[in-house]
Amino acid sequence: MSKHVVIKHNRYGMELVLDSEISFEKLLEAVSERFQASGDFFKDRKMAVSFKGRKLSEEETMSIVDTIMANSSIQIVAITDHDSELEKKMERQLQTKGSSLDTGIPERNRGRQNHSVEEFSDFGETDNQYNAEFYRGNLRSGQVLECSANVTLVGDVNPGAKIISAGNIVVLGALKGNAHAGINGNDNCFIFALDMNPIQLQIGQYYAKSPDKEAAKRRILPKRKTEKEEYCAKIATAQEGTICIESMKKTMFRLS
Amino acid sequence: MSEVIVITSGKGGVGKTTTTANVGTGLAMLNKKVVMIDTDIGLRNLDVVLGLENRIVYNLVDVVEEKCRLKQALIKHKKYENLYLLPSAQTRDKDAVTPEQMKNLVNELREEFDYILLDCPAGIEQGFRNAIAGADRALVVTTPEVSAIRDADRIVGLLEANELKKIDLIINRIRLDMVKRGDMLSVNDVCDILSVNLIGVVPDDEHIVISTNQGEPLVGSACLAGKAFESICKRILGEEVPFMDLDKKGILDMLKNLFKGK
Repeated sequence: MSKHVVIKHNRYGMELVLDSEISFEKLLEAVSERFQASGDFFKDRKMAVSFKGRKLSEEETMSIVDTIMANSSIQIVAITDHDSELEKKMERQLQTKGSSLDTGIPERNRGRQNHSVEEFSDFGETDNQYNAEFYRGNLRSGQVLECSANVTLVGDVNPGAKIISAGNIVVLGALKGNAHAGINGNDNCFIFALDMNPIQLQIGQYYAKSPDKEAAKRRILPKRKTEKEEYCAKIATAQEGTICIESMKKTMFRLS
Repeated sequence: MSEVIVITSGKGGVGKTTTTANVGTGLAMLNKKVVMIDTDIGLRNLDVVLGLENRIVYNLVDVVEEKCRLKQALIKHKKYENLYLLPSAQTRDKDAVTPEQMKNLVNELREEFDYILLDCPAGIEQGFRNAIAGADRALVVTTPEVSAIRDADRIVGLLEANELKKIDLIINRIRLDMVKRGDMLSVNDVCDILSVNLIGVVPDDEHIVISTNQGEPLVGSACLAGKAFESICKRILGEEVPFMDLDKKGILDMLKNLFKGK
């Protein structure tokens, strides 16, 4: 029996661990073999399926799903990705080690978010430029999030925390700590945050630190933000050797 | 001749970091070349209190692990030329450094600096052992609270066991009004319990909170706490400075009392 495809079960259905070495045709064969052999076992169950171990394009994903359905009576109702698992893994690592997360992030399938990312591809191309990793939660002091792709964090980066990416960084929250985009030396990356208030920013080889606090006469803590200021999203890019932070405009990403 | 001073307390929140920042700055203002080392790996604060957080590139652990040179990690203070900070790492923990490595680091710094101040973490574990490893002298900070004094006593014992002979006491956040009412231990009470040489008394002062938030040490300023830290610095240098009278009343207080009919 083929070892190129391994079926694992999880709460929602099954996970296929695919061999990344062999050609896609061979892989399809292996899938059909595997499910012919064990398809009856699943009967007519409705399942969600996820893939692991190999990057798949949308078409490839669909043809694998078709192969499974053709060779067994399983009904595949959803294709899931690893988000929830990733998140748990991330949480665990952060709690136990409190240190960098460079390992254990499985290569993601091409996500649904492809289309939106593709349009910005002139910004910060990475090895897997079409990939964006999503994380949810706040990065607290001492926590480091390292990604080999573009990264979107739904949450805040607090002072003392750091978010590092080979590509672009999008923080849907407040960036109050450190961020380093384009860690492999890509100066074309950007860092976006809904509330841009970082301690240090690095884009590729460029580096910027926040201005020193002025010796305030009366008010020590920053002014409470008014409703209007609250959602002034900003984007940082490297321009002419320095890092510029600008307010986000609608037209910024319009394709010329 | 350089001196290595560890600022420690056992209990957390009594003012080690504030004391380190102010004593360090104060000594620099008295034209000494000073370096402050934050040994609280994983919970760094000293950089924030000094307003140097945005300058950190390398840290103590990077130096020890030889990821950078010592000079690269030292941050020069924005105002004082001869004041430096060696920040701690935030993403590691206390086990990242050994007492032996700290000793070597401190010895390396001795060649260049007059005073090396070590901001010790709370507790008596690895971090504490790292901090005291290279020290010649200790400043034990305590507040006039039974729990803080209990911990300070334990710390003094541990320091003595580690053959650190020169131990001085700083009593922080004392409130004279409460002492008078009998609600707080007095300076004498604390000294009686600990029987350690007293080097300074710092009154509870809201200016401290302001200065900490602002990232500007208040040593040398006109407020009571600023003056108290200034005299501590002078005493560290060996000067004889009389303890100030915390009971001096301002005109405002006198007026207040007048209206109260005292």
